[in-house]
Amino acid sequence: MRSFSLILKQFSRSVLLIAGFAFWSLSNAYAQTDAAKGEAIFKSKCTTCHKIESRLIGPALGPQLTEETDDKYLIQWIQNNQALIAAKNPKALKIYNEYNQSGMTVFADLSDADVGNIITYVRNTWKEDQAKPAAGAAAPDAKVESGPSDMVVFGLIGIIVIAFIVILVLNRVVGSLERILLKNKDLVIEDEVTADGAVAVDAKKEFIAKILKNKKLVFFILVAGTVAMCSWGWVSLWNTNVHQGYQPVQPIKYSHELHAGIMKIDCQYCHSGAYKSKNASIPSLNVCMNCHKVVKTESEEIHKIYDALGYDPKTQKYDSTQAKPIQWVRIHNLPDLAYFNHSQHVKVGGIKCQQCHGPVQEMKEVYQYSPLTMKWCIQCHKRTEVNGKGNAYYDSILAAHDKIKKGEKVTAAVLGGIECGKCHY
Amino acid sequence: MDSNKKYWKGLEELNRTPEFVEKNKNEFAEPIPIEEVLSGSGLSSKTPRRDFLKALGFGVGAVTLAACQKVPVHKSIPYLIKPEEVTPGVANYYTSSYEGQAILVKTREGRPIKVEGNPNDLFSKGGLSAQAQASVLDLYDINRLQGPRIKGVEAGWEETDAYIKKELAAVAASGKGIRLVTSTVYSPSTLAVIAEFTAKYPTTKHINYDTVSYTGIIQANQNSFGKAVLPHYNFDKADVIVSFGADFLGTWISGEEFTRQYVSNRNSKSLANKKMSRHIQFETGMSMTGTNADARITTKPSEIGVALINLYNAIAGTTLPGSKATGSKKVDTAIMLAAKELVAAKGKALVVSGSNDVATQVLVNAINSLLGSYGTTIDLDNPSKQYAGNDAAFVEFVNEVKRGDVGAVLFLNANPAYDYYKADEFKAALKNVRLSVSFADHADETALLATVNAPNHHYLESWGDANAVEGYYTVIQPAINPVYNTRQAEHSLLAWMENPIKDYYTYVRKTWDSGLLAKGGLSGQKGWEALLQAGMVVATPAAAGAYSFSLDLAGVTQKILTQSKAVAADGDKFELQLYVSQAIGDGKRGNNPWLQELPDPVSKVTWDNFAAMSISDMKKLKLEEGDVIKIDANGYSVELPVLAQPGQTQGTLSVAVGYGRTNAGPVGNNVGKNAFPFFSLSNGTFQTAAVATFKSAGYKSPLAQTQTHHSYEGRSVIREATFVEYKKNPAAGSGNEHGRKDYNAESLWDNHDRPVYDWVMAIDLNACTGCGACVVACSAENNIPVVGKDEVSRRREMHWIRIDRYYSYNDHGNSEEAVTKEKEIDKLDNFDNVSVVHQPMLCQHCDHAPCETVCPVLATVHSSEGLNHMAYNRCVGTRYCANNCPFKVRRFNWFNYWNDARFDNYLQGEHTQLVLNPDVVTRFRGVMEKCSMCIQRIQAGKLKAKIEKRPLKDGEIKMACQQTCSANAIVFGNRNDPNSEVSKALASERTYYVLEELNVQPGIGYQTKVRNIIETEAQA
Repeated sequence: MRSFSLILKQFSRSVLLIAGFAFWSLSNAYAQTDAAKGEAIFKSKCTTCHKIESRLIGPALGPQLTEETDDKYLIQWIQNNQALIAAKNPKALKIYNEYNQSGMTVFADLSDADVGNIITYVRNTWKEDQAKPAAGAAAPDAKVESGPSDMVVFGLIGIIVIAFIVILVLNRVVGSLERILLKNKDLVIEDEVTADGAVAVDAKKEFIAKILKNKKLVFFILVAGTVAMCSWGWVSLWNTNVHQGYQPVQPIKYSHELHAGIMKIDCQYCHSGAYKSKNASIPSLNVCMNCHKVVKTESEEIHKIYDALGYDPKTQKYDSTQAKPIQWVRIHNLPDLAYFNHSQHVKVGGIKCQQCHGPVQEMKEVYQYSPLTMKWCIQCHKRTEVNGKGNAYYDSILAAHDKIKKGEKVTAAVLGGIECGKCHY
Repeated sequence: MDSNKKYWKGLEELNRTPEFVEKNKNEFAEPIPIEEVLSGSGLSSKTPRRDFLKALGFGVGAVTLAACQKVPVHKSIPYLIKPEEVTPGVANYYTSSYEGQAILVKTREGRPIKVEGNPNDLFSKGGLSAQAQASVLDLYDINRLQGPRIKGVEAGWEETDAYIKKELAAVAASGKGIRLVTSTVYSPSTLAVIAEFTAKYPTTKHINYDTVSYTGIIQANQNSFGKAVLPHYNFDKADVIVSFGADFLGTWISGEEFTRQYVSNRNSKSLANKKMSRHIQFETGMSMTGTNADARITTKPSEIGVALINLYNAIAGTTLPGSKATGSKKVDTAIMLAAKELVAAKGKALVVSGSNDVATQVLVNAINSLLGSYGTTIDLDNPSKQYAGNDAAFVEFVNEVKRGDVGAVLFLNANPAYDYYKADEFKAALKNVRLSVSFADHADETALLATVNAPNHHYLESWGDANAVEGYYTVIQPAINPVYNTRQAEHSLLAWMENPIKDYYTYVRKTWDSGLLAKGGLSGQKGWEALLQAGMVVATPAAAGAYSFSLDLAGVTQKILTQSKAVAADGDKFELQLYVSQAIGDGKRGNNPWLQELPDPVSKVTWDNFAAMSISDMKKLKLEEGDVIKIDANGYSVELPVLAQPGQTQGTLSVAVGYGRTNAGPVGNNVGKNAFPFFSLSNGTFQTAAVATFKSAGYKSPLAQTQTHHSYEGRSVIREATFVEYKKNPAAGSGNEHGRKDYNAESLWDNHDRPVYDWVMAIDLNACTGCGACVVACSAENNIPVVGKDEVSRRREMHWIRIDRYYSYNDHGNSEEAVTKEKEIDKLDNFDNVSVVHQPMLCQHCDHAPCETVCPVLATVHSSEGLNHMAYNRCVGTRYCANNCPFKVRRFNWFNYWNDARFDNYLQGEHTQLVLNPDVVTRFRGVMEKCSMCIQRIQAGKLKAKIEKRPLKDGEIKMACQQTCSANAIVFGNRNDPNSEVSKALASERTYYVLEELNVQPGIGYQTKVRNIIETEAQA
C-alpha cells in the first residue's frame, strides 16, 4: 500500500507538476499569442483607417483605447458600431458625431477574443511607445548612405585592375623591346653598359632619333593614330544627342528600387497610361496619396508631395490654393518627329517594360537605359516576332503574310514596322 | 475616248498669258531668294573685318556654350490630381452644338483641338461647314477680350455688375427703353433668360437682328399662310429645283443640311438607281450653288422679279397684270422650259429665291403652292428657327435710339456698328444711349463704342442649348474652362436681373428638366446624362401640312415690278449684287486665319473681296483683272479690284459682304472692303441689289487667287457625261466606255506588295459641291500653317487638299459646237454660259509614285499599305519630288511658319498653338509636305482594333476631309477588302483615275461628273 500510495503520491505530484507546468506554459503561451494575434488582426483589418499614435481616418487608437476602459463597450463597438448608434448609446453617438457621422466598418466576423486581442495589442504598444518617447525621436532614419555607392566601388576596382593589367603589359612590352634591342644592337648596349649617366641620356636621345628614323614604325603609329581618331570621331558623332545613361536629379528622391523592386508594385499601378495611351504618363499625385496618406507620413520626401498638393497631414485637408505641381525632369526624350505609342508595345505587343527601360526595379534613381536611337528601334522591329496569338486583329493579317513569307518568322518589320510613315508623321 | 471638251481654271490659263506661262513654267514660281537672305543677315561683302571677327568670335563662343549642355532639360509635369476621365495621350470627345448643329468636340489633355460633326446630327449626319471647323481656332485667339471693361478701363465682374445694375435701375426709373439686340436667338434657355429679364425690366424689348436676314421669307409666309416662320426645306424630296439667286448649298439658311439633302438625289447611289434631280439656277453672280446647277441662266437682279412673274404665269396659265418680258431672251426661254419641268414634277418640285423682298417671296409661295410643294418639299409645320430677324424692327430701334427713347442697349452676337447699312448713323445715335453693353468676345466695332464690355464665353466654354429646327434640340456643353476672365452672357443677364438662379448651368438644367428632356422621352439626372452623351433630343416631327395660296397677286406683282425697276440700271450704269462669301460669311469670323486663307469656292480668291464682272464687260471697258474701280451706289463708295468672272451676268457687278472689318483683330482688319453700306431698305426689308456707277481708280491691287497655281497645262483631268448618256452607258464620259485600258502592261516599276491593307479613296465629282470644308478640316487635323496674302500670291499656300474648279464652255453634247483643243476659242466668246466642275485634289498616293523615284535621300517612300510616306526629317529640300509630281500636290515650307515673326498673326504664339494636333508634327523650313492620308488616324484606328482584339471594320477610319463632307463625296478604305465601301465605289463604271495614262497608278479614283441636261436646253 505504502508503496502504492508512494507511487500515487509521486504520480499525483508528477501529474500536478506536469499540469502546473502545462498550465504555466499554456497561460504563458496564451498571453504571448494574445498580443501577437491582436497585431496580426490589427494590421490586416484596422490600419486602413487607424493608427495607434495619431489620427488617420478614424481616431488615434492608442490614447482612445487606453482612456476607454470599458472593454465590453469597446468589443460591442468594434463588432457592430452601427447597432450601438442605432441604440443611441451616448458614448457611441458622441464619437459618431465627432467624426462627421461616418460610421466605422462593421466587423461581425471578429470574435470577442479577437477584439480583446486587438485591444491588448494596441494598449501594449501604446504603453511601450509612451515609455520611450525620446528614443524614437532620437533614433533617426537608419537608412543613411553608408559610404560610396556600389557603382563607385566597382568602378574604382575596375580601374585599378585595368591599370594593373596595363602596367603589367607595358612592363612586358618594355622588357621584350629591350630584349630585341639588346639582340639587334649589341654595340649600343655595350656603350650603355660602359658609359656613365650622361652617356645614357645621349643614348636615350639617340634611341628616340632612331625610332623616328624608322619610317615603318612612324608610318604605323601615324596610321594607327589616324584610325583611332577617326573611329573615335565616328563613334562620338553617331552618339550626338544620344543620352544613354542620362540620370538627372529629380525633385523627389523617389526610388523605383523600393517601389517596383522590393515592394513589387506593378508598373501599371502608377504608369497607368502605358496600357491605353501613347504616354505611359507620370502618375499624378493622387496616385501617390493612395498609399502615402498612411505610409511613411513622416518622411521628408513624402512631405514634398504633401506640399505640392497643399495637403496638411494633421488636419488631412487639401488646400488647392497652396498646390503647385512637381516638376519632374524628363529622362526619356524622344524627339517630336518620332511618334511612339506605349499601348501598342505594352498592351498589344506584350513587351515587358524592362526591355526598353532596363532593370528599373533595381534603380534607386532612374537613368536612360536604352539609347533610344532609330537604329535601336529598327533592330528590335526586325528581330521581334509579332505577338498575334489570340488577337483576332492579326488573324487575317498573319494569314496574308504567311502566304508570302511561306512560314518565315513574321516580325514587326515584315508588317511594315520599319516604314517611315509608321513613326514619322 | 478622251473628252474633247476644254477645261480651264482661269482666263490666264485659257489665254496662256505671258505672265502665266512664265510663272507656270516651273513648279515654283520664284527661285529661292538666296541673295536676299544673305544680304539680309549681314554676310554681304560689305561687312567690315572687325564685324566679321566679332561675329565669328561670338558664334564660336555660343556654339561651344550650347554644346556644353549635354542634355536639354525637359520638365515633365503631371497632374496634381488627375481627372478620372483624362488619360494623357488619349482624346476625349464631348457632344456640343455649333449654331444649332450637333457636334463632337475632340479634346486632348483638356483642350479642344478639333470640332467634328455628330454622326446623328439631323442636319448633315456628321458633316460640318468650314466655319464650324474653323471655330475652334477662335477659342485660342489672343485678341479676345480678356475681361470686362467699363468705358474702356478694365474692371472686375463685381464692379461691372454693380455699375450695370445701378445704370439699369436708373434707366428703368426714367421710363426709357432697354433694348436687347441679338442675332437670332434659338436657344430655349437663352430665350427664357431674356423673358425673365424683360419681366424684371419691363421696358425691355428683344430685337433679333440678322446681318443677312430672311425677313422677306418670314413675312411672306405670314402674309400667305398666317405663319411667320422660316420653312424647313426638303431638297431631298425635290426632283426639280429652281433657284432664283438662292445659294442654298452654301450660305442660304442651312447650307450643310441642304447639301446633304441635295446630293442624296445626285450621288452614286442615286445614279445607280437611274435617278437624278434636276437643278436650274437663275442668278447674277456665279455662286457655289450655281456652279453645281444643271442649267444656270445668268439673270440680272432687276430681271429676277419679272422672271418669277413669268414663271407664275406659265405654271398657272394666267397672265398677271403688268407681266412683261424680262428683256433677256435667254431668261424668258429658260423660264418657259423651267415651268414645263416644274409642272411635270408637281409635288416633287421646289422653287426657292434668295431675295429678301416680301413681295417676291409671296410670289414664290404662290408658285410653290401651285406646284404642291407644301407638305412635301416645303415644311411649314416644323419650321426652321435659325433666322427670325426682323429688319423693320431693327430700323425702328435705330430710330428710337436717335429720338433718345432708349436708355440702355445690350448687344449679344450683334455688331451693327459694322454690318448695319447705315452704320455711321447708328454709331452717332448710340452716343445718346446712357448704357450700352456689348457681350462681344472681341473689341469689335460695336464693342468699342459700348460703355461696358462684358465679354461672353466662346461657345466651347459655354453651357447652353439650341433649337434650330422645330423639334430638334441640341445641347452645348463646355469642353474647356474659360480661358480668359470672361463670363457667359446669359450668366451676366441673370446677375443683372438678380435672378435667384446664379449660374447659367443650373438654368439650362432647369429648362431641360421642365419640358425639353421629356420631348426625347428622358427625365431626371439619368436623362440629362443621356442627353450629354447623345448631344440632342429629337421630338417626333409634326406632320407637314399642305398649304394653298389664295391671295390676290395683283398688288404683289406691282410691288415686284416697282422693286425691279428700282434696281434696273440704264445707260452705262451697272446692277450691283451683294452676296455672302462662303468662307467669311457675314464677317463675324473675320479674325479667323483659316477662313481668310480658304479660297472662295468660285473665284478662288483668298484674303480679299473684289468686284466680279463679266469678261465681255471688262473687254468693253478695257479693264484688266486686279484694276481697282471705285464703285458708287446708294450714296456710298468703295474701291475694289476687279475680278474677271466667267458666268457673271453682263451689266452686273457682284461684291461680297463680310469684308472690310476695322476692329476684327490683326488678322481680319482691313482685309477687303465693307460692302454692307450698299444695302438699302425697301418695303421694310434690307435689299441686296442696287444700281451702281463706277470708274477706274487708276491703280492695281492684285488678288491672291489660287485658281491657276497648280496647272495641269491642259491635260484632261476632268471627265463628265450627261445624265442621258449615263443612262445609256454608265461609263459614259469616263474614258472607259469601251472597257478599261491596261496602262500597266509595260511598266518601268515593280509592283509593290500590299498584303493586308491598300488604303485608297474614291471621290464622287457629282457629290462634291466645292464648299471647301475639307480644306479647313485638313488644316485643323494636320497642323497646316497659314501663310497670308503675300505668300499665297507667290503660289506658296500650304493646303494639302485643294479644290480645283474648272470652267468649260457649255456645248451640251452638241458635238458640232463643242470647243475642242484644236478650235480657236476666242471666236466663241461665250463666257456667260460656262459650266463648272469641282475636283478635290490631294496627294494621289500613286503606286508608281514619280516623286519617290527622284528623291535623292529617300525621304518619300512607299509603304506596304499603299501609301506614299513623307519623312520630314529626311527631307533636305531638293524639291525634285514637287517638280516631278504630275498632280502638283506637294507643298514646300518656305519659312518656319510656326516660329517666324512674319506669321505672327496666324498660328504663331504659345497660346494659339494649343490648337495643334499633338499627334502630328509641325514641319520646319526647307522640307516638303503633302497629304499623308491622315496616317495618324489610320494608325490610331488600327491600334484601337488591336487593343480590342478584333479585325478592323470598314468605315471605322475616316479621313478628316471625308468626315466633314456633308455631301459624302469622299470615301476612304481598304481596296484589298472587296466588300469595303471604297472597293464598291471604285468598281463603279463612272470611276476614272486622273492622268491614268502616265501609269503612275493613283490611289484615288474619281467618279465622273454627271449633268442632268435635257436636249431642249435653253440656249440664248
